[in-house]
Amino acid sequence: MRRPAPATVRWLILAGLLLAWELVPRTKVVPELFLPALSKTLAVLYEGRAEYGQNLLVTLYEVGFAMLIACGVGILVGALVGGIAVLRNLLLPVFSSLYAVPIVILYPIFTAWFGIGSESKIAFAGIYGFFPVMLSTAAGIRTIDPQLLLAARSMGATIWQQIARVIIPASIPTVLAGLRLGGALTIIGVVVSEMLTSAAGIGYLVSRYRTILDSPRVFAAVLLILVLSVLFDLLARWVERRTVVWQTAGRQGRTIAARTPSPATATPAVA
Amino acid sequence: MSRLAIVLARLALFLALIGAWEVLPRLGILNARLLPPLSDVLSMLLQLVGRANVQEAMMVTAAEVVVAFVIAVPLGALIGVAVAESEYFGEIFKPMLFYVFSVPKSIFLPVFILVLGIGFHQKVAYAVFSTLFIVIMSATAAVESVKPEHVLVARSYGATRRQILFRVYVPSMVPILLETLRIAMIFNFTAVMIAEMYASRTGIGHLIANWGENFQMRQLFAGVILLSMVAIFFNETIRWMETKCSSWRT
Amino acid sequence: MQQLADVTPGRVGAAGASVEVAGVSHVYEGRDGRVPALEDITLTVGAGRFTVIVGPSGCGKTSLLMMMAGLRRQTSGTILCAGRPILDPDPQRVGVVFQEASLFPWQTAMENVEFPLALRHVPAAERHRRSASMLNLVGLDGFGGRYPHELSGGMKQRVSIARGLVQDPPVLLMDEPFAALDEQTRMTMGHELLRIWSQTSKTVVFITHSLTEAVYLADEVLVMSARPGRIIDRIEVDLPRPRTYEMMATDRFGRLRERIWQQIRKPD
Ligand SMILES: Nc1ncnc2c1ncn2[C@@H]1O[C@H](COP(=O)(O)OP(=O)(O)OP(=O)(O)O)[C@@H](O)[C@H]1O
Ligand SMILES: [Mg+2]
Repeated sequence: MRRPAPATVRWLILAGLLLAWELVPRTKVVPELFLPALSKTLAVLYEGRAEYGQNLLVTLYEVGFAMLIACGVGILVGALVGGIAVLRNLLLPVFSSLYAVPIVILYPIFTAWFGIGSESKIAFAGIYGFFPVMLSTAAGIRTIDPQLLLAARSMGATIWQQIARVIIPASIPTVLAGLRLGGALTIIGVVVSEMLTSAAGIGYLVSRYRTILDSPRVFAAVLLILVLSVLFDLLARWVERRTVVWQTAGRQGRTIAARTPSPATATPAVA
Repeated sequence: MSRLAIVLARLALFLALIGAWEVLPRLGILNARLLPPLSDVLSMLLQLVGRANVQEAMMVTAAEVVVAFVIAVPLGALIGVAVAESEYFGEIFKPMLFYVFSVPKSIFLPVFILVLGIGFHQKVAYAVFSTLFIVIMSATAAVESVKPEHVLVARSYGATRRQILFRVYVPSMVPILLETLRIAMIFNFTAVMIAEMYASRTGIGHLIANWGENFQMRQLFAGVILLSMVAIFFNETIRWMETKCSSWRT
Repeated sequence: MQQLADVTPGRVGAAGASVEVAGVSHVYEGRDGRVPALEDITLTVGAGRFTVIVGPSGCGKTSLLMMMAGLRRQTSGTILCAGRPILDPDPQRVGVVFQEASLFPWQTAMENVEFPLALRHVPAAERHRRSASMLNLVGLDGFGGRYPHELSGGMKQRVSIARGLVQDPPVLLMDEPFAALDEQTRMTMGHELLRIWSQTSKTVVFITHSLTEAVYLADEVLVMSARPGRIIDRIEVDLPRPRTYEMMATDRFGRLRERIWQQIRKPD
């Protein structure tokens, strides 16, 4: 017997999971508190769309702001650290040591400083997303083929032309990958901080309904966050694909694969 | 810049930070209520370490971290090797794992609470769940890092399966495995912290969250310093072992 | 195209200019002390001549070429190009082609060739015209829209050559341009290079490790000693042009090759 194609199996598994989500709770084997049926979750989501929508806006606002900080500061610091040898030798090992610290323990400091409103979420999630952006920007700049810069110089490129026409385009793939990870972490950071202490946002809804054991509403909020993070991932990958068409084969070649940054920079603490 | 100069510069930077943390709040340039001077924080740290309830919390946290780690790493490694070794299942599951990997795990924390209640089991279960995927991915990468040429060369010289395992697979994989342990610990520790801060009756994370809510800034900073030191210490130990083991890599 | 202005029929662009290297020495200040790389190099490459430099690995060939290109300043001595000292990269006097195809992977072949022109803000229409004619010269008509990863090794080096020539510099410096290619492609590329050279009459300085390539291409072969590099021999290759593959089998070719080999293997 021929085995079905892996992609088919993947879709079947996904369909099976969704079906199980619908059917298993109906059998009453699993109490609704543990797992409310998919249809019920969706119904609750639709019913409470005004509330979910409002809180989603709060979350999106915080995510947007935090991403601006994470990406802006991350790219800036990463460019400095990656581009200037003195700073790199001085700081990069320090940064990668600090990376081991679970950043979430800083959150209580932020709530004490900025209150439980959006500011503390933005600060926390900004820092959460900052590290991968900074580390991949630094890696992207550090791993530029020196031969390319030499070639540009031989053609009379000024230092600014080297930056604009070689360093920036050459580091774009790594920076974009960093932005994707950083963006994902920013979303997580906002949601986690909302779950911990807040008065609005999707994470807040998760926690509030969890406390009153309203399981379907918890799952509805969880579903919403899942969709949000998957959509962001798809969007980021699409942008990456569109921007780095020239790289498709280079990946197998010598451009990136030969010097993939160490897993420390490639894998963020997705909590 | 020579190594010595770098070390000195880093030391100077560190001292400057420490000095600023001590002096700025004392001079009133920064609000001492929001950022207590470092010396206050450190003396609080010494006090805290002596307190029974803090010691108990540390033991609970340590137990959660260790148990979750001991479950997640072998389990993840096993699944990872299985996925890497079977081409068919690899092709089915690898893209899925990638997706699951990029999904935020922390939003499932409430689900763990709904199902398991609040307690040791729930923390460990959640930490295993958070850590498992990164271990699977790294284990897959570790197996794939073994070059088929090397296996072929070993076979052509008549190596047995055992010899191939210990002379080709293990040495090739050790650096990545150590890296996996390191990253897994970061994930694991983060997960336990989140779980404790979110809903818990004990544990260091719980204490930190409480201190934050009650504006006990000295305790809060002392706790943060303590946890950071533990995390960095573990991380650097494994990193040191990594450099020892991977000196043959260029 | 410009036949009226040019002396040689079919010639493209400006003719070659001489390169004069006088008493050039270089010392690298490395981590572990001073590394003398070049010692009192004096040589003249006549206008329009094809000169090949050979020498053991690490003897300073690349260093010398970088200095000729204005990419690195020598410790002492002077280098004149077209009668004027070369202190900084001057793409209108000197074009450079590097070993690994140092093409920008995010640009198409056409954009790569246009790169030096874009740096000087040459208008787009003019850029296209010139890069198209260069791609035509190196035999890559119709490949302008491809990215480097869509080209073979030989094609990439053709693009590099087109890029080196697009500003029409009188001098073209080439550092082991065909080293990464397989033997067959390498022969074809050498032949192609001679064709392009005869059409453009540039002055070419060409570094290689292949003695066959050296004899096949050169008017003159300069042999350098091991580090610190000095010029230890100068061999005039008086084989007729155009060169053909058959010449490689002749005694004369073999003797020239043998003489270079004797010089290189000679201990100091
Ligand atoms: N930036 C540098 N700093 C210190 N030493 C250098 C530097 N660049 C080259 N050298 C040294 O100078 C010597 C000459 O190097 P160069 O690259 O010019 O040799 P080469 O003849 O081109 O060698 P190859 O044939 O291998 O390409 C070598 O010993 C090299 O180690
Ligand atoms: Mg060289």
